[in-house]
Amino acid sequence: MYAIEVNDLTKSFGDLMAVDHICFSVSQGEIFGFLGPNGAGKTTTTRMLTCISTPTEGSAQIMGNDIQKQAFAAKEQMGVVTDISNVYLDLSAQENLIFTGKLYGLSKDRRLQKAKELLELFGLQDVRHEIVRGFSGGMKRRLTIAMALVNDASVLFLDEPTTALDVQSVRVIHELIMKLNSSGTTIFLTTHNMAEASSLCNRVAIISQGRIATVDTPERLKQAMDRVHSVEVVFDSSSSHLVTDLEELQGVRGVQKRGNMLRLLTLHPPEVLTGVFQYSERKDLRLLSINTLGPSLEDVFLEMTGEEIVERTKGSGKSSERRGSVKSRRSSH
Amino acid sequence: MIQLGLDRLRKESARAWAIAWKDMRTYYLTPPSLMFGVLFPIALFFTFTVGRNLSSMQSLPILLSQTVFWASSTVGPVVIPLERRTKTFDRYLSAPMSLFSVLLGKTMAGIFFGFFVSIVPLLIGTLLFPVEVMNAAALALGIILSCFAFAAMGIMFASVPTESVGNIMMPLNFVRIPLLFISGVFIPIGELPVIGQVAAYLSPLTHTLILVRGGLGVESFSIPLGASIIALFVTGLLFLYLSLKFHEIIRKRE
Repeated sequence: MYAIEVNDLTKSFGDLMAVDHICFSVSQGEIFGFLGPNGAGKTTTTRMLTCISTPTEGSAQIMGNDIQKQAFAAKEQMGVVTDISNVYLDLSAQENLIFTGKLYGLSKDRRLQKAKELLELFGLQDVRHEIVRGFSGGMKRRLTIAMALVNDASVLFLDEPTTALDVQSVRVIHELIMKLNSSGTTIFLTTHNMAEASSLCNRVAIISQGRIATVDTPERLKQAMDRVHSVEVVFDSSSSHLVTDLEELQGVRGVQKRGNMLRLLTLHPPEVLTGVFQYSERKDLRLLSINTLGPSLEDVFLEMTGEEIVERTKGSGKSSERRGSVKSRRSSH
Repeated sequence: MIQLGLDRLRKESARAWAIAWKDMRTYYLTPPSLMFGVLFPIALFFTFTVGRNLSSMQSLPILLSQTVFWASSTVGPVVIPLERRTKTFDRYLSAPMSLFSVLLGKTMAGIFFGFFVSIVPLLIGTLLFPVEVMNAAALALGIILSCFAFAAMGIMFASVPTESVGNIMMPLNFVRIPLLFISGVFIPIGELPVIGQVAAYLSPLTHTLILVRGGLGVESFSIPLGASIIALFVTGLLFLYLSLKFHEIIRKRE
């Protein structure tokens, strides 16, 4: 039995297909990353899986319980951290945890015990009686995560859990995720953070335009990432010849212009860096900034789905917008 | 099987009560609840009674009925959009409980708010003025069933998917204010045109007034008290059913 099994899950808002017949499964004890650009359908998928919204089509099971036909049993198995810290602002930290315990049917003693444990775990013991409205963003986030752990869920849905947290808190959350996972909890982690996904997840799904583009291990994704790099440069001049000149540099595969910043796509950043410095000396241009960048999530997505960047790519001879089409739809179980 | 059903019922009702209790503690003293639930009915009462030389026996049922009406129907439209804004409403949907239990919890919060607020004018009337309770059962049922019907009405309006209290209060007041004028609160039903009189008997507020007047021994319209009790109960169930359906539709669209 899978911890999460999704079959043809679909959500449409009028003519807009937010989630388009997606299929994937998550094994018990797995940390599964769910990645994608903004508006890709990540949160809509998570909302359906956590029974907050109703699917238009398709089905999903949580620990074998259908989210629509056996919603009560499915919801008993899950803990949910939404992308926003949805705490009760007019209750204290302890009251938030106790109220959550009531919603999950914990006995009075168990609620108190669990609240005490979680307040200590998340460093909120000293402020347990304070009204949450006065908490910082990080404290609210920690409390939100603590509330998802009240019922000792088998499957934990974490939607951007480390957003707005300081480095120390992020480390605590990551350690906690690993600890929960080692004790058998399945983690469904939605994140923009590739490093987070890479270090924590056993497998990762990338969703874009409502479709699963790929499901794979982070290692394989990283292999794809290593192929695309870029060098971003800003000169003190905005000559119209800059773009065409830079396209001619050794190792440059294409140039994207974003405001006064030029992004040079390459497989060999050092070679391009050398070329850029030589070019600036030759043309007597002053470099205001220069950065080398690894691929963004979007680049990985493009790489994995076979979308093409045709914006000022070498040889095209004309500027164009980023064109994307999913050439292949892959999903694995 | 029966045991499983009873166990589920116990769990659902405990969680509905937890929501109601939390709402009572959290939202009863918020400015929108106090403004629309307490100040508004009192202001309206004085607007339409001052200078009319009404006795305390005539004015108390008016104050009591519209206090129940405004207070009970205010809690849902205040709480639900605020919880939509903070996304805490999503917590109920992902918790192991049915949507019906969530709405029942919210309805209970409205019932208790209406009940507590209406107790104040009743106590003042019976302690400070020569008002006597002649039929305690009719009065109690009138208040409690009205709290139920109007709280459910508020929950039904709160199914509008908005994060702003004002966006719900506007259509709700569009219904609430006309109801005051067709339910015999300020204008006697007998003075209304025929179509107004028909509408009056369809208004739950009319039946609140009938039962409150009956409870205080004030002469009222020629409808048996039992009919008003049934009318309020059925209206409450209907509003609750419609609330459930509307919230389900919204859940499919969101």
